[in-house]
Amino acid sequence: MRRAVLRRLVIGPLLDRRTVLVGISLIPVAALTVLVSVIVWISFRQLAGAAAGYSLDAYRELYLDPFTYKALLNTAVFSLITVAVALLFGIPAAWLVERTDLRPKEIPQTLMVLGLLIPSFLTGMGWVFLLNPRIGIINTLITGIPGMEWARINVATAPGMGIIQGLGLANVAFIMVSPTFRAMNPVFEEAAEVHGLRFFQTLHKVTLPLAYPGVLAAAIYIFMIGVAAFDIPAVIGLSNRVFTFSTFLYIQVQPLDGLPRHDLAGASAVLMICISLLFLCWYYRALKSSHRYAVVTGQSYRPRQVELGRWKPWAWAFLGGYFLLGQLLPLSMLVWNALLPYPQVPSLSALGHVSLNNFRALPIHQLLIGAQNTFILAVSVPTLTLLFSLGLSWVVVRSGFRSRFFFDVFSFLPHAVPHIIFAVSAAYVSIFLLSGFLPIYGTIYLLMAVYTLVWLSFATRNLNSALIQIHKELEEAAAVSGIPLLRILRKILLPLLGPALLNTWLWVALLTYRELTVASILATTRNITLPAAMWGIWLSGLYPKAAAAALLVVAVMVPLVFLYWYVGRRATAMERTL
Amino acid sequence: MIAIRNVTMKFHTKQGTVQALQGIDLQVERGEIFVLLGRSGSGKTTLLRCLAGLEKPDTGQISLAGKVVFSDCERIFVPPQERELGMVFQSYAIWPHLTVFENVALPLTQAKRKLSKQVVQDRVREALQLVQLEGLEKRPAPLLSGGQQQRVALARALAIKPQALLMDEPLSNLDARLREDVRSELRELVKKIGVTVLYVTHDQVEAMALADRTAMMDHGVILQVGHPQELYHQPVNVTVAEFFGSVNWLEGRITEAGVIKTEIGTLHADSASSVGSQVVIAIRPEDIQLSASPSGNANEFEGEIVSTTFLGDYSLYQVQTRTSKRILKKAMGSPIAPGKAYFQISKDRIRVFYNRELSSLSRKA
Repeated sequence: MRRAVLRRLVIGPLLDRRTVLVGISLIPVAALTVLVSVIVWISFRQLAGAAAGYSLDAYRELYLDPFTYKALLNTAVFSLITVAVALLFGIPAAWLVERTDLRPKEIPQTLMVLGLLIPSFLTGMGWVFLLNPRIGIINTLITGIPGMEWARINVATAPGMGIIQGLGLANVAFIMVSPTFRAMNPVFEEAAEVHGLRFFQTLHKVTLPLAYPGVLAAAIYIFMIGVAAFDIPAVIGLSNRVFTFSTFLYIQVQPLDGLPRHDLAGASAVLMICISLLFLCWYYRALKSSHRYAVVTGQSYRPRQVELGRWKPWAWAFLGGYFLLGQLLPLSMLVWNALLPYPQVPSLSALGHVSLNNFRALPIHQLLIGAQNTFILAVSVPTLTLLFSLGLSWVVVRSGFRSRFFFDVFSFLPHAVPHIIFAVSAAYVSIFLLSGFLPIYGTIYLLMAVYTLVWLSFATRNLNSALIQIHKELEEAAAVSGIPLLRILRKILLPLLGPALLNTWLWVALLTYRELTVASILATTRNITLPAAMWGIWLSGLYPKAAAAALLVVAVMVPLVFLYWYVGRRATAMERTL
Repeated sequence: MIAIRNVTMKFHTKQGTVQALQGIDLQVERGEIFVLLGRSGSGKTTLLRCLAGLEKPDTGQISLAGKVVFSDCERIFVPPQERELGMVFQSYAIWPHLTVFENVALPLTQAKRKLSKQVVQDRVREALQLVQLEGLEKRPAPLLSGGQQQRVALARALAIKPQALLMDEPLSNLDARLREDVRSELRELVKKIGVTVLYVTHDQVEAMALADRTAMMDHGVILQVGHPQELYHQPVNVTVAEFFGSVNWLEGRITEAGVIKTEIGTLHADSASSVGSQVVIAIRPEDIQLSASPSGNANEFEGEIVSTTFLGDYSLYQVQTRTSKRILKKAMGSPIAPGKAYFQISKDRIRVFYNRELSSLSRKA
């Protein structure tokens, strides 16, 4: 009798409390499993009239179509150029900020982080206004010179889009490579110099090889973003019929004419998932070896600063040139064109055409619905994402369950699989499988669910690294002193995770705010978001009007960005005091 | 107070399975300071964590104050929250987002104990007084020194008036001098309160200074339990002897009762009984008498002092014997000049181990 009571008191509550966290983590795991399985399933499913059959027809069609290989080649070229350009700007910038006496460092650092928040569809649109073969300002200037028609620059090519995407992702390269340079023990470089190596020899033989694993990890990561990228290939390539993988998938389910081909989309998605998983494995192997000698000592040290001397102006010119190309130029083009009835080269006479007519002509009603939806999503999605990723993180990092590896794999799945695949799968599930009893298609809840899933990896990764830094004994001390698990969570873990939670919440909010990939597939008139509304206008060819809508998107975003910047600075300051 | 019966535990790592605990039996009496001693990886911390409920053993039974808290056959596992223990962690685990007062008070307010505000206040004040930290209540935890954090951890563990106090290498993060001070204070303090203490360390000096009884662990097994003096003077095997202080090792064979043929010559030892056995002999440096002239006693050998290391309160000599074996000797008092010397070993201070332990010794060498 006593024993039975004991058992209930003792084993019961412990399992119950853990079950809560495991249960929370199982929800997204189940949802992800469904979405991926459905994609595989529809790739085999043929809809011939009313009857459905299963065959390999879609795969046959996909692999026999030369168009597929063209899209794949485009994707490869696009992604490789993206990586090259991102590293070309990101690595020197990281090195300049972390390892030289360039001052003040805060300016390039802040601009790099803020640059991450600029939606790439904005810069994409800006570049269209600059370099579109027909309307681009630079092309207009070039072709204005007699005999120079051949020099017309066409941005709507795989390399062209790759350069623009790469400029946008140089920030990611910067942020990923900076810690490698920061954590590098100066002892290695000092040893090289003491033993007679010159500056460039040291850089070439010691510094860069030491940074290599970190750089490789960043390169693979950016390549994967490139493969999955939708915004820029859609904004620039779609109207010129230059497809990369994401846009290829997009026209299969949202064709300009004819019926959606879900079987083809499924088959291409399966191909893409396989390729992405290969790269993910490579990425993890690179990441592992980057830990091997990135941080070598527990001793405190300050990386030595290279004195730039007379090279300093060149360093500033390099950073300035990047910000000009990457952000200033395309964004100012966007503003300029939003004020004009049609794209024109900046001039005094063009200044006469400047007006707010584009803004007045915007479909205000639709934009208001979009703004409302976007706002609801930007608040609910980060909250939900945090809830699920907190559960996942705890199970992966802390629970000690043997099955935690399984949760770990699932929490990275949305990172490996291009987001557009989840969107396609979710559309199929909600239209064909759920519509009978859960009419979620066309509602904001569908977007909410898919957004939450796709940012799970990002949030879980952030929380994992924060959780690992919190010494396990802090929780154990609480457990031994009799504090129940959920209170440990509330009283110990949440306050200690506070800065990381806040940071992740804001990031996901901003990502939600600017998200276009999933919205382009799932948004309808009822659940339209601001970027999707803008996308609709762009797609119908009304470029200046779309620019105006894009500016409205940015205008609403600016306060959020400043909030992020302000809170983020305070959060890092808090972390430092801990 | 603490009873551990046949506890085993395996860890599964990428490299394979590690048998962390292999059938541990242990009994700790009420009010006793019991020290678990061993190298890192010997399983001592694992055993402590099993007791706290932070690890779950595979088999066996653990009871605290007469109540079973773990038993594999009865499927009982009491979670750490319900075991009413105090624990001081190696890292101290002072919650960095709280002040000193909040750190000590959190277990009193957040656990199931229903304590009034006044009682919490009193308990915290009392605990901080015990560890001499009055006046620091409002200080944020990150602004404490290592020694202060250690005291807060102790106060936090004592404030809940635990059944027993578990300490996991609590002094290893302090510098050497502070460690000595805290060691003696600690013993005084826990004796005053009368709390049962289970203390884990790898430092035999700490064990000798603190323990009422100590258990030496190695590879998940308890080798010997007893008063520290017992482990020092009557080690049951080579590992224990080696761990407690430095030892001169000799190999030899018992040729007749009380006589051992060794590499440095014939030794007379009381404990040599099993004639014909291959043995290993342990002689502590302080058990060797060193003099410049021969005394003519038994067990005396001639050698040459090859080096002298002055270490303040004693000196360390390396003596070379005829057969080129080096012997260490510790001596207090005035140093002996280098050169020819005679050393003598008392018969009753020679420890003889039979050869099944030889392998572990040669592995070490």
